[in-house]
Amino acid sequence: MNKAADTDPNQETGYKTATAGNFRSRRLHFLGLDSDDIVKAFFGGNATLAIIVLLLIMFFLFKEGSGFAGQNATELVSFRQSGLEYVDLMRSQLNAFNDLPRHLSKMEAEDIKFRMKEGDELKEAREHTKELRDYTMELRKAVRPLDRHIKELSETSIVLRDAYKTYLNRCQEKDNLQREADKAARRGNTELENRFRAEAAAVRIASIDVAARRATVTNRLPEFLAINAELRAKLGVLLENAPAVDREVEDEMRRFRSKAQRFIEVSLQTEDKLRSWDAERPMPFSRRITSFLFGRDWVTNSYFQDWYGVLPLLYGSVVVSFIALFFAVPLGIAGAVYVNQFASHSEQKFIKPYIEFISAIPSVVIGFFGVIVWGQFVREASGWAIFSWIPGFPISERLNAFTAGCLLALMAIPTIFTLAEDALNNVPKAFKEASLAVGATRLQTTIRIVIPTALSGMISAVLLGFGRVIGETMVVLLCAGNRISIPDFSDGFSTLFQPVHTMTGIVAQEMGEVVSGSIHYRALFLVGTLLFFISLAINYMAQKIMRRYSIAEK
Amino acid sequence: MMSQKNNFPPTLNFEIPAMSEQTIPTARTIYRPTATVQGPGGDKVSIEVRDLNFYYGEKQALHGINISILEHEVTAFIGPSGCGKSTLLRCMNRMNDLIDGTRAEGQILIEGQNIYDKDVDVIELRKHVGMVFQKSNPFPMSIYDNITYGLKIQGRKKKRELDEVVEKSLRGAALWDEAKDRLHESGLSLSGGQQQRLCIARAIAVEPDILLMDEPCSALDPIATARVEELIHELKKTFTIVIVTHNMQQAARVSDKTAFFYLGNLIEFNQTEQIFLNPSDAQTEAYVSGRFG
Repeated sequence: MNKAADTDPNQETGYKTATAGNFRSRRLHFLGLDSDDIVKAFFGGNATLAIIVLLLIMFFLFKEGSGFAGQNATELVSFRQSGLEYVDLMRSQLNAFNDLPRHLSKMEAEDIKFRMKEGDELKEAREHTKELRDYTMELRKAVRPLDRHIKELSETSIVLRDAYKTYLNRCQEKDNLQREADKAARRGNTELENRFRAEAAAVRIASIDVAARRATVTNRLPEFLAINAELRAKLGVLLENAPAVDREVEDEMRRFRSKAQRFIEVSLQTEDKLRSWDAERPMPFSRRITSFLFGRDWVTNSYFQDWYGVLPLLYGSVVVSFIALFFAVPLGIAGAVYVNQFASHSEQKFIKPYIEFISAIPSVVIGFFGVIVWGQFVREASGWAIFSWIPGFPISERLNAFTAGCLLALMAIPTIFTLAEDALNNVPKAFKEASLAVGATRLQTTIRIVIPTALSGMISAVLLGFGRVIGETMVVLLCAGNRISIPDFSDGFSTLFQPVHTMTGIVAQEMGEVVSGSIHYRALFLVGTLLFFISLAINYMAQKIMRRYSIAEK
Repeated sequence: MMSQKNNFPPTLNFEIPAMSEQTIPTARTIYRPTATVQGPGGDKVSIEVRDLNFYYGEKQALHGINISILEHEVTAFIGPSGCGKSTLLRCMNRMNDLIDGTRAEGQILIEGQNIYDKDVDVIELRKHVGMVFQKSNPFPMSIYDNITYGLKIQGRKKKRELDEVVEKSLRGAALWDEAKDRLHESGLSLSGGQQQRLCIARAIAVEPDILLMDEPCSALDPIATARVEELIHELKKTFTIVIVTHNMQQAARVSDKTAFFYLGNLIEFNQTEQIFLNPSDAQTEAYVSGRFG
């Protein structure tokens, strides 16, 4: 049998022999991958890497931040056990009193300013307010015994607090070593177990009698009550002999009186609180976190007691962001609508790149501009006559929430503008044509058809602008004034012109100088975590809105 | 739907002429109407186009078009892609103004007034000349709001009046029975054919005199197409209709007059039967018999 002729019927016709190899790939292979696979692997790998990095960042944030709760518990317990909390009650009463002479000083300054406007010389004006000044001095003198007493008590308490904290830390250290030893025992590693046990035994814990030492503070309550009663009596006498003031500041004087009355109430309440205070009252577990989330003080490196309450920082971030959005939203949206719907082609070609160019300015340059030019201008402008009706004007701080907010608005405009413009662009042209074809004007079409259709996109543009602003660091660090406090809202509108500190700013400012692993360090990480969640929530919401309300048909 | 089946598809009651040996000629001859073509709706001219040249930037899209469209007639524009039929249609309500760099020379007279005159308000013009687009484009709002949109922007807000117009328009667009119970549902919830009829209802709600239709059935299935074609028959009692179509059977079925365009020129304009049965131009014959286009 001729095998060749039998299996190769095509040979003579010149066709290629049909074999199984005909459909094998002829492209270049590298490690068994062809070019498509390599490209896919490259980009897929990049995406995976990005996700891994993101997860690592999240993990690291949580890991560093989560230690805060435990350390904060130690802080809170030692704060209470050492009686420092007790002293703190007295201190807050003292602070309430100190507000009174401060109020009078401010009032005096206003009076002098007013008199000078009337044509008086500074010297004359000061002569006139002398009586008020002396009165203020009397107030300051009256509180001195209380001040001295509290200082004494706090010194004792602080020493005790530090000792007790050391004690707690030692205990914890020993506990940890014991636990490690137990773990080793369970695994059957005798050698390791013994080593841990030896280490644990080596930890020396100087026992302290907290209750007894605390008693040296709490036992002095009668002394405090006596001083306090005397202070109240003095205040009462002073209130009766208040000096007569000019008509212009009479309102302020009335406010002073009501403040003083309130102080007397506070003082009595404080005494009640002190009497019922109990060091053994258990610290609720949730306090470890709530003292961070809802704490109104962020005090670090103080001689008295450190507090890590995020509220003033959150307030700063939010208020600066809202000022920014207040300016950026109308400008960004209106700009997008104009450029997309009304501008001629040449205008579009001019405006769009310029607005997008703003986002290319480094934020430190914007911050610099804010410090040198804008802040100065805002302060100057606040002294103009047309603004004189606003209470609190002219302002004294050139770096404040408003200054920073304006500059952040500048940074948010490109984001809002670009995204809103995209949203408007995505409105099907057919809608516009249909509207025009029934006789609508361009303005009617824009307002009734184009904007409602693009609304979801524009809302998400605003949200993303918000995300951009709340995460911005450099500008707020330079221009927001960095005062950590929740302002007194009784100033009304001019509250917006007070310096604030922000969450981003505090992390940037303090991270460089904290001791790694300290509670302060962990608190900063917790701030970062909170910021991360806020950004995440904003972005998530933006996407949700975009998807939910976008029209299915394009 | 079953009752539709008997009169669908509408049959052509004339035959397409046999192919001739002639080669496809180039577009040179420009049709000039020598006499007014008598139509069923009388002989009142609704739209008169005089020597219209139209340019997209440098490119000339229409070359000296002259055509008279009579009232209460359906006039179909046919021709291969890019022949200028849609451009001419969109000149009639100046929709082309929206495109940058376009320019028109010549005149379009509607009710005796040149719509390219300086003192013509495009907004007023479009209230008189409605338009239905190739792709159905209801607004993303309720059926009711879609129809009343044109009235509301004119400031007519009385609910009674609006309700009446909605019913009248939906009946006019043969959509009332299907939509009367869902007037406040989104217009986008309707089927494709219903959406197109909704767009027709929206266009006729402002009571225009002329209705321009730019390939209104090209995105519809045959049954929906048949319904819209039936509707066109009804609508011509009230409106003058100009329809652009790629579908020659459709032109034959719905129109009274047909105009054939080629490369921006009006080649032939005549009674539809004449165009399809006995075209006077060789190019028209070549196109309607399917040899090019």
